[in-house]
Amino acid sequence: MPIGVYVCHCGLNIAGVLNMEELKSFAEKLPDVAVARDLQFSCSDIGQEQIQKDIAELKLDRVVVAACSPRLHEPTFRRAISKAGLNPYMLEMANIREQCSWVHMEQPAMATEKAKDLIAMAVAKAALLKPLEPESIPVSKNVLVVGGGVAGIAAALDLADSGLHVFLVERRPTIGGYMALLTDVFPTNDCSICVLGPKMSEVYNHPDITLITYAEVLGVEGSVGNFTVSGVRRARYVDEKLCKGCINECAGVCPVEVPSEYDFGIGKRKAIYIPYPQAVPLVACVDPKACIGCARCVEACPAQAVKLDQEPQDFKLNVGAIIVATGWQPFDATRKEEYGFGRYRDVITTLQMERMLNASGPTKGDVVQPSTGKIAERVAFLQCVGSRDSTVGNLYCSRICCMASLKNAQLVKEKYPHTDITIYYIDIRACGEGYEEFYVRAQKLGINFVRSRVSCIDEVEGELFLIFEDTQTGEMKKVKHDLAVLSVGLEPDEKADVLGNLLGLSRRPDGFFEIAHPKMRPVEAHIDGVFIAGCASGPKEIPISIAQGSAAASKAVKLLHKGVLELEPTSAYVDPEKCIKCKLCVDLCPKKAIAVKSPAYVDEAACKGCGSCAAACPADAINMRFFSDEQIIAQVQAATEEKREFPLIVAFLCNWCSYGAADLAGTSRIQYPTNARNIRVMCSARVDPSFVLEALRRGADGVLIAGCRIGECHYRDGNYQALQRVNVLKGVLEKIGLDPGRVKIVWCAASEGEIFAKDIRDFIGELKAMGPIGTELKKGLSEVKNEETALP
Amino acid sequence: MKLAYYPGCVSKSTGKEMDASTRAVCGALGIELEELDDWNCCGATHVSNELVAAGLAARNMAQTDLPIMTACSICYSNLRAAAQRLEEHETLEKVNAVLDKKYSGARIRHALDVILEALAENDERIVVPLKELKVAPYYGCLLTRPAGLYSPEFPIILEKLIKRLQAEPVDFRLMTICCGGPIFMPQEKAAEDIAFKILSEAKRAGAEVIVTVCPLCHLMLDAKQQVLEQKHGVRIGIPVLYVTQLAGIALGLGPEELGLDMNSVSPMVVVERMYARLSE
Repeated sequence: MPIGVYVCHCGLNIAGVLNMEELKSFAEKLPDVAVARDLQFSCSDIGQEQIQKDIAELKLDRVVVAACSPRLHEPTFRRAISKAGLNPYMLEMANIREQCSWVHMEQPAMATEKAKDLIAMAVAKAALLKPLEPESIPVSKNVLVVGGGVAGIAAALDLADSGLHVFLVERRPTIGGYMALLTDVFPTNDCSICVLGPKMSEVYNHPDITLITYAEVLGVEGSVGNFTVSGVRRARYVDEKLCKGCINECAGVCPVEVPSEYDFGIGKRKAIYIPYPQAVPLVACVDPKACIGCARCVEACPAQAVKLDQEPQDFKLNVGAIIVATGWQPFDATRKEEYGFGRYRDVITTLQMERMLNASGPTKGDVVQPSTGKIAERVAFLQCVGSRDSTVGNLYCSRICCMASLKNAQLVKEKYPHTDITIYYIDIRACGEGYEEFYVRAQKLGINFVRSRVSCIDEVEGELFLIFEDTQTGEMKKVKHDLAVLSVGLEPDEKADVLGNLLGLSRRPDGFFEIAHPKMRPVEAHIDGVFIAGCASGPKEIPISIAQGSAAASKAVKLLHKGVLELEPTSAYVDPEKCIKCKLCVDLCPKKAIAVKSPAYVDEAACKGCGSCAAACPADAINMRFFSDEQIIAQVQAATEEKREFPLIVAFLCNWCSYGAADLAGTSRIQYPTNARNIRVMCSARVDPSFVLEALRRGADGVLIAGCRIGECHYRDGNYQALQRVNVLKGVLEKIGLDPGRVKIVWCAASEGEIFAKDIRDFIGELKAMGPIGTELKKGLSEVKNEETALP
Repeated sequence: MKLAYYPGCVSKSTGKEMDASTRAVCGALGIELEELDDWNCCGATHVSNELVAAGLAARNMAQTDLPIMTACSICYSNLRAAAQRLEEHETLEKVNAVLDKKYSGARIRHALDVILEALAENDERIVVPLKELKVAPYYGCLLTRPAGLYSPEFPIILEKLIKRLQAEPVDFRLMTICCGGPIFMPQEKAAEDIAFKILSEAKRAGAEVIVTVCPLCHLMLDAKQQVLEQKHGVRIGIPVLYVTQLAGIALGLGPEELGLDMNSVSPMVVVERMYARLSE
């Protein structure tokens, strides 16, 4: 196994600090090394050509480049060696620039010693590299969109227009979501259904969209590229193909009347109904809870479409990606008991107000007191009902309610100019294009604003009183209104829990689905091939929901348009002989990629290679194709082969954050001592306790594990898992008589080079105080001896 | 049924009638009370220091394995708040480090809930049904905090008990607002204003009796009533009974057992009207 080692000068970036001649001759003597060269710029064409020439002439089968960070040029050298016929994974880099010459500029001799270890570690790992073939799998070009609100509609149309086939599954009998129920929408006050309606029919008529309404997803199997989704289409008791949507015939004879959920309780509908005139599909639906089975509708229907014996139908779909657009649900205002919603008829919610203002709503656009039916003359809007309120467990701002109330207040004022309108608010949040102007417009219309969180609403002899402190005057006030509108916040749709659990989506503390990165990956879930759009991941206004729907669609197109998916060959695999079926790995896996089907089995398409399962497996049955146990142990052994300084630290750095932080310390030229020998791992959870014990056994004075900051793991919670293991490990060290402080876990973000340097300095200080490894054991022994001699 | 009984400091001072009536009513209902050994303050004297308050409460709660009953809403609230805080491992460790008997969980009950549970509907033990007696249910703030069994705005449990005793709860709007007691020291006038508002509202609602579950509320509405009447030049004259006293009357217990003579506004006229029914 001839290995070629190339030590890069990088001009003076490396050669200005390290002794290149010494490194080259050190590398030459390492086992299996056939050639060691120093190159001016290894990444230049000349450098790459030299490597390729050696591969051809010296039959090198693996290459070590000691140069900059692999995060910078690993792809370059992988391409270079594969052009020369080597498998691209037969490359290992020793980071002697960012993590050596740039951070130890004032200690060239010690830095050269450290670089020797780094090269030796890379060579030891290189000897154990195996060629890996990226696997390609064929993928389905179908996409499932769950939820037919405005985000789901936007996603479905973009996908279908891009040539993928869409299955749009909606829980209700119609698509359109909450937007279809709103009256005019801010900040332009254009009619909601007038802009959404055409999109809804476009979905219905699109040849590449299969619309499945009144249906639920009940099962999801498989992984990115090839999901198998099963579900059920509930019985409408009306044949979709036969129904003409005339509704007057059947609903006209239906004797049952119930409150309409589409009017939020202020309007009524029959047991056979169409949610609203613009519903898509425009097909009637029988509510089995309300229907008394009289069958008068069956007789009345001119198309014989009513089928009271209809059965639910199962469906099964194969899709390559899933877009979760399950939306939100309004905060249940009865939970704020002090406002009397549900007890006082004239206390209503924003959504009821929307329906009242809607020309096709239950009051045909009149804003009335529900108790009397009279036009309301004094209207109050109460902001932040169920938002920014720890008493109901919702700390977040629901984002749209300020604007919604500003809009509804304007609509009321325009319709009834003499109405006295007051908005009670904590802060008015009007931050969007044209929003502040919209707020000013409301002020100019003569709408009153009182900064107050209303304490309670009291109804005395049929009259409503708001009791509150006006925080601008400091007075306690009691003010009469005819109608109080509770601006209810947005909560995650609890019915989406089923889908969330099936897909293994995480929820944030606020209950909404968590996206893969709070800034950089706004529509991706932690699970590959699953995207989240709209209010499923938090409250959003209409334009942002649409943008997210389109963004999720473009991510899905990017993923599937080629019809094949190339998989990184860095996954975990199970040795079936060793597996004891304990299922520990199943729960740990952030990607739900492992199933135990006697024995455990890793879905390599879903695995992202974090390695937590390999570290946790009590039977050592799981290993990684890249960053394998053997390779890491070889690096540990090489680092401790010759103890070049005290204290000697073996440091495991997670690829995403702390390795980045160490690189950043280099590019920022932050200086720190040379004691650490860094080993790159994909995640801090990859660190098997046996690596740590091996390092200490071989004479390292301390082991540092650095992960992403808590809550920022790039997989899910690998850093928590690492923390847990370190805590157990500390107990073990204590039992064998070693100072538990010799293993330390720290968190630093990729932007925290200074913190990384400080962590190294601190740890060195702590280890100096402890003395070389084993000091405590000797001390323990001498104490025992002293006790023995003290005995009579 | 056997319960541990935590009397609380008020039972030795301004709330002797609360203690006496609690013991008497429980006796009549066959509930065996075992007074906590060597009890101390519930934590109310140290509410500003959560750890000390939790520690004081924990020392009480560690004395028994039985569910602990108290008739005082302040104690009830403090013990429950402490039990919640002690679910945090860190707090528990700190507290247990200084306790002889270690705390490991407790169930806290209010006498109100115990009595309501013990009284079945149409209970034969109700020998003096309080028919036609108009009672204002006054909860105050602490019975329902921290959030637990009852809604903080509409707890309805007192109404249930009043109905079970066959009396009539009046529509009493201010039933859950603060009595003013907690701010009496720094803001005497504000506290008195609140108490007067509550009393006036009870009168408006047509209450013949106000029932309370907290000795501080009782103090504000009963002991202060005469002063407030003089200050505002308005006659109120509504007796304020502890819930245990009200239940005791219905159970046919005597004025002495229930400590009725200790109330500032004498309930005797009302009580005699109830007793008079017996002889009818």
